[in-house]
Amino acid sequence: MTTAAVGNRAVATAGPAADDAEATATRERPRNRENGPGWAFVAPLVVFFALFLVWPLIHGLYLSFTDQSMTGAGGAFVGLANYAEAFADAEMWRALWNTVWFTLLSTVPLVLIALVMALLVEAGLPGKWLWRLSFFMPFLLASTVVSLIWVWIFNPQLGLVNSVLQSFGLAAVPWLQDPTVSMISIVIATVWWTVGFNFLLYLAAIQNIPEQQYEAASIDGAGRWRKLWSVTLPQLAPTTMLIVILQILASLKVFDQIYQMMNQLVTPATQSVVVYIFDTGFTGYRFGYASAISYIFFAIVLIISLVQFRTNARRSA
Amino acid sequence: MTAVAARPTRRMPSSSGLKPGEKRFGVARILAILVLLFLAVTWLLPLAWAVATSLQTEADAGSAPVSWFGESGVTFDAYTNVLGAGNVPIWAWNSLWTSAVITFLTVATCALAAYAFSRLDFAGRKPLYFAIIAAIVIPPQVLVIPLFYQMLAFGMVDTYLGLILPQVVAPAMVFILKKFFDQVPIELEEAARVDGASRLRVFWSVVLPLSRPILAAVSIFVFIQAWNNFLWPFLIINDTNLMTLPVGLQTVKSAFGVQYAQNMAMAILAALPLIVLFLFFQRQIIRGIATTGFGGQ
Amino acid sequence: MASKTNPTTTNARPTAFSRRQLLVGGAAALGGAMLAPALTGCSTGAAASGEAQLSFWHPLTGGDGITMSDLVTEANQANETFNAEQTVLTWGPPYYTKLAMASVGGRAPDVAVMHAARLPGYAPGGLLDPWDTDLLAEFGVTEEDFAPRIWEKGVYEGDVYSIALDAHPFILMYNTDIAEAAGVLGSNGQLVETTSPEDFLEVARAMTDAAPAHGLSYGYLNDGAQMWRLWYTFYRQMGAEFELPVGGKAKFDEEAGVAAFDYIRQLLDNEIATSTNDYATAVAEFSSGDSGMFLTGPWELPTMQNAELPVDAMPIPTLFGEPAAYADSHAFVLPHQAFPDENKRRETYRLVANILQNSIKWAGAGHIPAYEPVTEDPAYGELLPQAHYVQASEIVNYDPPAWFTGSGSDFQNLFGQHMQPVLLAGADPAAGLRDFKAALDVLLSKPNPV
Repeated sequence: MTTAAVGNRAVATAGPAADDAEATATRERPRNRENGPGWAFVAPLVVFFALFLVWPLIHGLYLSFTDQSMTGAGGAFVGLANYAEAFADAEMWRALWNTVWFTLLSTVPLVLIALVMALLVEAGLPGKWLWRLSFFMPFLLASTVVSLIWVWIFNPQLGLVNSVLQSFGLAAVPWLQDPTVSMISIVIATVWWTVGFNFLLYLAAIQNIPEQQYEAASIDGAGRWRKLWSVTLPQLAPTTMLIVILQILASLKVFDQIYQMMNQLVTPATQSVVVYIFDTGFTGYRFGYASAISYIFFAIVLIISLVQFRTNARRSA
Repeated sequence: MTAVAARPTRRMPSSSGLKPGEKRFGVARILAILVLLFLAVTWLLPLAWAVATSLQTEADAGSAPVSWFGESGVTFDAYTNVLGAGNVPIWAWNSLWTSAVITFLTVATCALAAYAFSRLDFAGRKPLYFAIIAAIVIPPQVLVIPLFYQMLAFGMVDTYLGLILPQVVAPAMVFILKKFFDQVPIELEEAARVDGASRLRVFWSVVLPLSRPILAAVSIFVFIQAWNNFLWPFLIINDTNLMTLPVGLQTVKSAFGVQYAQNMAMAILAALPLIVLFLFFQRQIIRGIATTGFGGQ
Repeated sequence: MASKTNPTTTNARPTAFSRRQLLVGGAAALGGAMLAPALTGCSTGAAASGEAQLSFWHPLTGGDGITMSDLVTEANQANETFNAEQTVLTWGPPYYTKLAMASVGGRAPDVAVMHAARLPGYAPGGLLDPWDTDLLAEFGVTEEDFAPRIWEKGVYEGDVYSIALDAHPFILMYNTDIAEAAGVLGSNGQLVETTSPEDFLEVARAMTDAAPAHGLSYGYLNDGAQMWRLWYTFYRQMGAEFELPVGGKAKFDEEAGVAAFDYIRQLLDNEIATSTNDYATAVAEFSSGDSGMFLTGPWELPTMQNAELPVDAMPIPTLFGEPAAYADSHAFVLPHQAFPDENKRRETYRLVANILQNSIKWAGAGHIPAYEPVTEDPAYGELLPQAHYVQASEIVNYDPPAWFTGSGSDFQNLFGQHMQPVLLAGADPAAGLRDFKAALDVLLSKPNPV
């Protein structure tokens, strides 16, 4: 242990004086066991962690093998029956497909528009704080507020969108009532709501691009286009990868705005996996079955998260 | 839109934003401003529309033709009615104090643990840290069924405890804080340790003061999430007196049917606290989100 | 960065101190967190006066909601002993989901309104507490005050779980001006009685000729409830049964079912009635005086009266032999409370009895009061057109009982999903019914989660 610590110290000492996180990752390792303080420091977290994360996780898995009802009825072990039912359940597949569809529809604009916003705001134009405020403010709103506002904007008779359409002589669209467009309407509201988050992540990433790279490009006679293509975008590539994955994970979990914008009703065209979990579990009382769906969903999220971890590791390396 | 937007993009590091020899009003620059303006107006429009509606009478808001300013002029009736009904202030208070408690408990437990993971060597450190980091991938939505069941067993459905406690678990924050503590130079602590200070004293009087920015960042992130959280508070609270703002606004309806102006007044009132906070602490909040964003998802 | 130095000395006894300090600190923090909610919880719930504070949930908005608000306000004013505060939730699945969640949590509202047909999804699971009929009698509410069919609907395994406020059967509204012009009014000024499908088609055609747009308004698009209400009315008039035995298979008469659809399609021929209306459009069409008749529930009566439409109403005519009409009831239930407060329970009974006894006002919202002393009162006979469809409460047919049926349930949605193509696109009704049956069989094969 001592040698390891010494070795680490040597590296740390030799490292350049930088406030960069990666440079100091090889930090001092404590050498003396301090079980008492160590456990005491982690104990509060571990209590919460065990009670409200580990235990529900295990218990949820157990529930998925039972016919437990919300009312307290049932609870008998049914083996894989819930999973067998789920894989044959057309409604679950539809919910999965809706979720994937929402993720596809939302991720592309949420990443592209955020990138464009960040590049423009960092292009050295005046009024930077104002742009930043405009793009980020919606992210501070609760899903409920977003839903209230957009349900009103999409109102078929009195909404802003249809009134604009009609003033151009176009037909009014029942944005949330027509199953062929309702998902797109929800995506529009979602993009408005959450693009500010990705925008901020891009802003931070752009600001972290070393100045020297641009100077070097200038010396090589690169114009602004050339610098965008040969410096900025390549430098943003790892960030983009990460934002895409984080966005996919966030979009897969969609519940709030769908549930609320559809007036708390479950409709075939918009029912996402989490909405289906809610519907079978709380409206249908079937906790066992809803747990099975939860775990199937968890498996999917887990796979994508593993991809994220690998990307993250590569980025940190 | 993307193609147009990308054209003028150019990183201009100097404070003037211009390099020698560049035109102040190039075509690209004007295009960039136009695109930015278009985006900003698009992004502000929904909020402006909500504000405009909230300042109309119900009759104006609820009748065609659609207009920005009602025929009867500007009125604060919708706000008076919403605040007079009594629920919104109760919900706002519930949101405020429960979010504050959640934030305090989360930051306190995560900071203590992160410090231990960073500095202290104790049996089980590595596997425990690994378990907590691995838990970042668990979507909270997957846990709602067993958590609700557990709250039934604890008798905590429709209680503040049931609302608060499950929201305190935030493994990603441990990761962020540990990464920060890893960078804090150890000399200061060691000096204090030599003077005989306990670990807790060192943590309290040496490490915490150094960690204010990251603690602020994490607190901001946790607070915003708690303030805006919908799914869990919606599941666990049915009593209208215990509801948070997002849950109350969504669940409780008016016996008189949909009232558009009041709906928008409620939306604006619910949005206002965080927007005001943002105007005052723009820099800190943006830095906070940028720091916690990747880890916190 | 300055070079790091190792801690050269190890503090001999840091652990004991820091651990104790930490535990104390942690306990204080947690204690504070637990205390705070307790204090706040008290301050919001406590009443200043000695009145029992009753929480009352219902899903009623619009005309119904305003009438209910008035009833509650009047009950509060007439009684010093309680103060009921109403909470309105979104009608349909959101309401029923929340009601169930509050009930399993054990801290449910003191009283709630529920559709009687939803009872099988709530009473068996212990989500509701039974009514004490003796205590009800003390406040003047007994079994004899209700039509047997309506009272029976609130009974599960011998206990009374719901007390009906009303019955709201599917009825036929008509525009008296158009009816007069069409020459289909009888000598009593009401629509002539029709007793066969052909009779009714004739009346409808006469109405069509006299009306600006259509003889009949009926909206059903994306509205399973509307489709079910009309189909089930005709189906039951044919004397056919519909049974949903849990663990078994759905049993119904396919022939009668197809016949009912065939008849509805004859009505939706785009002459008598538009074949592509949703409910809101049908309401608008009839209320603006563009059509002669309207198939709906009595709850639309205030809308028509507000529109100053010359409107009358009657039970759906018996076209297929047996008098029958789809119906449900708004009923009072006691959501399960783990620790009910004796006094609050008593005051809850007082509140409910008070609302029932004043339910002539509820009739103003169109519904037929279930508490018969109200409908037998001469004052009710003068209430028109309500008095013209009061007989409908004797021919009510609730949804076939199962944990998944009733107003705002998956069952009616499911019916709509399978049957909309039959009405909209001319799909084969027999095939639609078989698909519906298959979906029901799946539901029935699942364990009853209640």
